[in-house]
Amino acid sequence: MEGMATTAPAAARGRSRLRGGARLAQYAGFLPALVLFGAFFALPLGLIVAYSFWETIDYNVVHHWTLDNYRYFFSVSTYIHTMWATVWVSTLATALTIGLAFPFTYWLVRYVRRGALQRLLLVLVILPFWTSYLLRVYSWLNILGDGGAINRFLQWTHLTDHPLSFFLYDRPAVILVLVYLYFPFAVLTLYASLERFDWDQFKAAMDLGATPRTAITRILLPQIRPGITTAVIFVFIPILGEYLAPQLVGGQRGVMIGNLIVNFFTGAQYTRGAAAALLIAALIVVLLVVFRRSLEVEDAYRA
Amino acid sequence: MSITEGRLSRADLLKAGAAGALGLTFAGPALAKGMRIESTTLNMLTWSDHYANDQLKAVAKAVGLQGRPTLFSDNADAYLKIKQTHGQFDIVSGDALWVPKYHKDGLTTSFPLSEIAASKQLYSLARTFPFWKDGSNYMGYPFSWSTVQIYYNPKYVKVKPDSWHALLDKKYRGKISLENIPTDMMAIAARATGAKKPYSMSKAEISRAKAFLKEFKPNVLKLASQNNEVVRALADGSAWIGITNLGTDDRVKDAGGPVVKTAYPKEGTIGFIDSEQIVKASKNHDAFFKFENSMQQAKWIARNFITNGRPLFNEQAYKILVNTGHGDRARRQYYNEPENALKMTIKGPAGDEQAYVDAFNEVFG
Repeated sequence: MEGMATTAPAAARGRSRLRGGARLAQYAGFLPALVLFGAFFALPLGLIVAYSFWETIDYNVVHHWTLDNYRYFFSVSTYIHTMWATVWVSTLATALTIGLAFPFTYWLVRYVRRGALQRLLLVLVILPFWTSYLLRVYSWLNILGDGGAINRFLQWTHLTDHPLSFFLYDRPAVILVLVYLYFPFAVLTLYASLERFDWDQFKAAMDLGATPRTAITRILLPQIRPGITTAVIFVFIPILGEYLAPQLVGGQRGVMIGNLIVNFFTGAQYTRGAAAALLIAALIVVLLVVFRRSLEVEDAYRA
Repeated sequence: MSITEGRLSRADLLKAGAAGALGLTFAGPALAKGMRIESTTLNMLTWSDHYANDQLKAVAKAVGLQGRPTLFSDNADAYLKIKQTHGQFDIVSGDALWVPKYHKDGLTTSFPLSEIAASKQLYSLARTFPFWKDGSNYMGYPFSWSTVQIYYNPKYVKVKPDSWHALLDKKYRGKISLENIPTDMMAIAARATGAKKPYSMSKAEISRAKAFLKEFKPNVLKLASQNNEVVRALADGSAWIGITNLGTDDRVKDAGGPVVKTAYPKEGTIGFIDSEQIVKASKNHDAFFKFENSMQQAKWIARNFITNGRPLFNEQAYKILVNTGHGDRARRQYYNEPENALKMTIKGPAGDEQAYVDAFNEVFG
């Protein structure tokens, strides 16, 4: 017994070491991702953070620690105003994108038979990805411009005798193009969520007297909430940092914060640009924390 | 495990991936070395109008030197990239007074212009710019030049806008297009408000320039990221006025647009004289001369003029243009009058770039 008593803890220690080794081995698979993430994300992000606290003097990034870049950003009303404009443009564009994508995906999943047609429609949704982002934005110049398709149609139908210029180079044009650009992201995310939904629950609710609207709001939406949240994240966050669409179709009135950041970088003001970019990143982190709860599906029924 | 068994465990997958990665890591340098034997690649930090893709291909075929361009829009951006990347680039394009700045700060190296045989094809004036001389050496190879002036569509703009202040007229609301280059826009505002040195304004002068831009802002249709967007806006009629380089009238016409006329503001204007420079930290100095000699041949420069419309410094190319029926167009763009390049305020680094960019952003944000 004594012998057993002395060998048992040793064996336990051995097993524990083995388990510890096995546990480490489990994580070994993450090493390449860790290296990649560290070298190409964490390290550059660290550099950006450092830059944002340095200053630029005569085209030199000088390593003097300062809060000036942040102070400057908050002391000039233009940046606050442009930041808010960016947030509301992003919010509106996201709401419109999800608002359009949800009914389409609902119809696709519920009413189009699984098989070739559904696959074809999904392919059509992602078809724009086969061309470059730049081309997709440029194509809107041909649609919305003075000599574009809409104006030609209006003139052809004699609804107007001269081109109407309000379609392009303003915020509505930016929102329209952003909705077009991010619609496929929303559809794909919602599709993945709706496809897994058990429609029998929906039918059961209807059998028990729920109206279609009640069934959607009380049965469907709570269960696919993580999908909707993911779609919102996939659409809202990239839009927040958009630069090219407002640059090409937004005109002087469609400027977003990304455009001002680009001006800092092209003007070699890396430290100011880094601070502004980090403020957007901080906003995104805050939003992700807010959204995080919505990604927990069990919360949907907790109340 | 055999592939035919159709089962691949996670451990096997990781092992296979790790083996593949190791293989590529070790084989990579050898493969790259093998590729380098065929041709040397010269990394160029440049503007899109300094080369054509077929030109790069032809040069690679002829001299075995492959140019790999990376684009930039503002000189300040390129300057800082060269400063931070050391020898990653071999060639950098630069404007007028940026060239001595690069050289003074030890980022580029001067060279005898005669090392590039094609320099004999240049106008003699282009070989003697005092601000590019470094003893008997030259700091860059002269490429092209242009003033930045007003182009207007006479269908909508009835009175020739011969002053920067004419562009503040409310009837041009949302009808002016220009390139989004903060430093140059501030310099134009400096000319409009009478600052003595547009690229070295005092705080008070910056403030006046900013006030001018504030008044000007409602008339701006868009701040274009590339010159071709200004051309497009003039061509499709969405812009009535463009602030842009020489040759825009021809390019608008080529794009199927209306006749646009040029106007030189009485307060004067800014402009560029640009060049190709050797990056000091580059390991391909010898290849630079061979490459540039091939790139700068008159036939390519003549084609560049047809495409981009602004004058270049290659005199032999002008003769080609005349002989091929493009003489009128070349003369209209002052190709044969390179001395005009010295009459404008040439581009250079701003005394306080941060103040310039801040002021610009505060107006256009």
